[in-house]
Amino acid sequence: MKVSLSWLEDYVPIETDIYDLASALTMAGLEVESVDDTFNYLEKVVVGRIVEINPHPNADKLKLCRVDAGDRFLQIVCGAPNIKENLLVPLAMHGTLLTDGTLIEVCEVRGQRSEGMLCSEKELELGDDGSGVLVLSDDLRIGSRITGALGLSDYTLEIGLTPNRSDCLSVIGIAREIAAIQKTKIKYPIANEIDNNKTNNFISVIIEAVNHCPRYAAGLVKDITVSQSPFWLRKRLISVGQRPINNIVDISNFVMLECGQPLHTFDYDQVAEKRIIVRTATKGESFVTLDRKDRIMDEEMLLICDGKKPVAIAGVMGGLNSGIDSSTKQVLIESAYFNPLSIRKTSKRLGLSTESSYRFERGVDPDGTVRALIRASNLIAEIGKGKIYEGIVDEYPLKQNTDTIELSISKTNKLLGLELDKATIKTLLESIEFKVQNSGSDTIEIVPPSFRVDIARPVDLMEEAARLYGYNNIPTTLPLMQAEAVRPLKVLVLRENIRDIMTGLSFTEAINYSFINESACDLLKLSSDDPKRQLVKVLNPLTEEQNVMRTSLVPGLIETMRRNLSYQSKNLKIYEIGKIFLNKGKDSLAEEIEMIAGLLTGDRHSSAWYSKETNCDFYDIKGFVEALLAALNISNVTFTKLTFELCDYTRYGHTAKIVAGNETIGLVGEMDPEVLANFGLKQAAYIFELNCNILLKLSNLLKMSRQLPKFPSVTRDITIIINKDIEVMSIIDNINSIGEKLIENAHLFDIFEGAPIPPAKKSVSIRITYRSSEKTLEDDDVNNTHKSITDRLINKYGASLPA
Amino acid sequence: MEKTIEQICDEAFKEIKTAESSESLNAISVKYLGRKGIITQFLRSISTLPSEERPKAGEKANETKKILEKAIKDAINGFESKVPEVADSIDVSLPGRSVSPGSLHPVTQIMRQICDIFTRMGFNIAEGPEIESDYYNFEALNIPKYHPARDMQDTFYVSDNIVLRTHTSPIQVRVMENRKPPVKIIAPGKVYRSDSDITHTPMFHQVEGLMVGENISFGDLKGILTNFIHLLFDDKTSLRFRPSFFPFTEPSAEVDILCVMCRGKGCRICSYTGWLEVLGSGMVHPAVFENVGYDTSQFTGFAFGMGVERITMLKYGIDDIRKFFENDFRFLRQF
Repeated sequence: MKVSLSWLEDYVPIETDIYDLASALTMAGLEVESVDDTFNYLEKVVVGRIVEINPHPNADKLKLCRVDAGDRFLQIVCGAPNIKENLLVPLAMHGTLLTDGTLIEVCEVRGQRSEGMLCSEKELELGDDGSGVLVLSDDLRIGSRITGALGLSDYTLEIGLTPNRSDCLSVIGIAREIAAIQKTKIKYPIANEIDNNKTNNFISVIIEAVNHCPRYAAGLVKDITVSQSPFWLRKRLISVGQRPINNIVDISNFVMLECGQPLHTFDYDQVAEKRIIVRTATKGESFVTLDRKDRIMDEEMLLICDGKKPVAIAGVMGGLNSGIDSSTKQVLIESAYFNPLSIRKTSKRLGLSTESSYRFERGVDPDGTVRALIRASNLIAEIGKGKIYEGIVDEYPLKQNTDTIELSISKTNKLLGLELDKATIKTLLESIEFKVQNSGSDTIEIVPPSFRVDIARPVDLMEEAARLYGYNNIPTTLPLMQAEAVRPLKVLVLRENIRDIMTGLSFTEAINYSFINESACDLLKLSSDDPKRQLVKVLNPLTEEQNVMRTSLVPGLIETMRRNLSYQSKNLKIYEIGKIFLNKGKDSLAEEIEMIAGLLTGDRHSSAWYSKETNCDFYDIKGFVEALLAALNISNVTFTKLTFELCDYTRYGHTAKIVAGNETIGLVGEMDPEVLANFGLKQAAYIFELNCNILLKLSNLLKMSRQLPKFPSVTRDITIIINKDIEVMSIIDNINSIGEKLIENAHLFDIFEGAPIPPAKKSVSIRITYRSSEKTLEDDDVNNTHKSITDRLINKYGASLPA
Repeated sequence: MEKTIEQICDEAFKEIKTAESSESLNAISVKYLGRKGIITQFLRSISTLPSEERPKAGEKANETKKILEKAIKDAINGFESKVPEVADSIDVSLPGRSVSPGSLHPVTQIMRQICDIFTRMGFNIAEGPEIESDYYNFEALNIPKYHPARDMQDTFYVSDNIVLRTHTSPIQVRVMENRKPPVKIIAPGKVYRSDSDITHTPMFHQVEGLMVGENISFGDLKGILTNFIHLLFDDKTSLRFRPSFFPFTEPSAEVDILCVMCRGKGCRICSYTGWLEVLGSGMVHPAVFENVGYDTSQFTGFAFGMGVERITMLKYGIDDIRKFFENDFRFLRQF
């Protein structure tokens, strides 16, 4: 909402500095977002004196003026008929930007240099007279700014109104607040009364949809002339960013801006049968609005019709068929109270929001319709040089009542943390025109003014009292709370734990948008029945790139990789913790699963003085996953090759499923090169994805100490040669499964392929640590066991011993 | 006349000072402290003194001997390098084998700070779904369908009745439905709004707070939030509470802090107002309590909410909110 200081001053004297006023309004809940100097555009316009006038050598109608600008003399080419030597005139200097968009610059006019412009009242937007330059009073100082010289000062305030304050969608509404802040009185515009009792046979108003339109008033002004509005009226509209059109339309806008009541004007001669019918539309009914668009209506939308046809969408926009044009002679003025919800629905469904609908949907003053109608009639009669048809129509079938609210002083104080007495609260509320009466020792009864449609409950009044008293005058206290502490959510503990572990593992946390493009499923080569294809679609995405909720963190990580590679960051260790969303049907909430995923790409070691550049591989990422799981105290984890059918975006043969007990935790593997290529990437990348819900189930953060061994251990190595395709960990598992008490640990310490090992074979070396809890082991104690393990492996795996 | 012990000491010190090598110092040591040295002789001569003077003279001579011994030793140390010649010394200026630490996303870091402050105050952390029903996101919070307040938040819809939550406020409703007062929770999480520019991203993080009890006042709301802001920024940060409107609170207040960049003088960051809006807050609206079945005559409470990215931007001097989700390593590794 824009409002100018000078307009406000029509209703309330303003004594304070503009910035203090802005601050006071902000602190009363009307946030002033900006304060603009209205006459800023005149910054480079000064008082000049025409010293000498000479003819223009190349143009009869132009003159060359030598103008004293105070500190220098300028040559100005001017064609105004009223210039004379020694006249004081407004001189627009180089760089002036006039409101019509003209930029004044040093230039040549018909071959003669012109270093500025002598301006008319009209050119400076100071009046209507464009016939010649504005002649200034002789006593002004040459070279002084025109704004100072003429005492021009005004500001435009941009106020960010909250949706509850529809009463402030008008200059008077804001003036009312200022009056309350300043503790002064507001002066309402005087409207000549119209005799309400006169017969009003000029129109018959029939309201068929009473719930949509509780009140409809109309007036008529005859014999008007449609023309340009007078300067003052145009100036008012321009000051708040509205474009003047003609006197009738301008007046209806002016009255709306002044008192917040949207009006509509019809050409009375176009109103068929002199009847106004307010009815809901039929489904599919079409109507062409002023903006020449065909609107398709439905049965919840309200139409204003004449005897034959619709003429306006109630409260939203008029029709192309009944507007005011230059030939209009008689103006029918509509001032109605429409149901806010009805207007809101219509506006939303049509995607059409206007100054009018904006006010109606927030709620206008139901008692203000007639006042606004009379104000507009008077102005139209005066400015349009017409005559008010005596009497108005005021159909008000559904009376809007303002209920009395009882307010408890003690409850008010308790809620706010104040100790105000009854008189203080009364004064505060009365300052904004609430009617207050004592009703009990602790209570007062309040009738809010009809324009405060947001006031319905005692708490609404408490808020009014608080904001007028000043939030910053309310003492700051601390609440008394019960000391009970509650156990934190396990998932939170786990999540933060994971983050700390990942930081320790030198990973960088990324956060990607939860939405992705649905094509990601295809790019990831997900099979057609993959649950990750159960996408939650966003009906109104910001861009098509973000049209579904993610069902995997992987696309985000790959996108992060792609972006960083393009920034030449080639070595990445990144992870993200966040939710994925699986569609569970149209009317159900999605299944939200928290996941952690990591991505590793680039060098294991960058080239440095101590190492050569080496690329990371599967075992790097697996090592990180193992470390993470170990840090979470999750044991008995196995990594098994993911079957071909289940590998979609990771490379078959290079991907492991991670399982603990019966639970599948996730997967780790190399990204499928084809999938990477789908995302425009060539560099190999390794990922893991773990389900946090499963981690939460498995993670055991209860820790118990174990006795440390008392006796030393003995280690023995076994080297066997086996078929290449045997998974080595199955051998370790096999050793562990023997259940031999002396075996403390079996550790793989070397794998070798190539000569002298035969082709398709590999040599595997395992170090077994033996320890007894009862004594120091001697050779004899382990020899037999070690031999039997060796034999067992030879038998089981068809192994041979090295030559 | 024979020299006094003081004279001997002075002379010895002069020699020590002018000595040019450890060899000459060794010679000085022999000259004074050797078996036939001057001090040794002097000590021996004490026995010739009258018996009443002996103890004092002996004490003094012994003291001098110790002082000289130390002075000579120190002087020798001064000449002799303590550093042994080592053939295999290394270049310690070489960088160590690189171990780069990981890092938490800046939003996570500030989110943790915020949650820490409130949990220290006794608030518990609650969470809820990110895809939320219209009821919890709007209706239960006193924002009926077609209410103009719906314009305050540009909503992503999944269906007519399911939205991407536009704030973490639905969590307060979910918590109150399952718990009787007193309630003191904060609800951190991702939220979604259909908006994108230098200060808006379609996804961002919020922390919402709620405290309900029997005597909770607006003054208490001011107290808790003032305490919070002082801990998050610093004790000198000025706050102002400004009337505003949220459908689920009344009275409602925006909380501004004095601009952390210009300290109120006015700059680009604060749009030359000197103030920065950091929190929305207010007393829980009775309609919300009615929706969850709380007795409005018995309980009052306050709620507040803040955007984590915005606070992170202020704390770390970040100028574009979109950087948070571009995940540029060069950006992330700064925190």
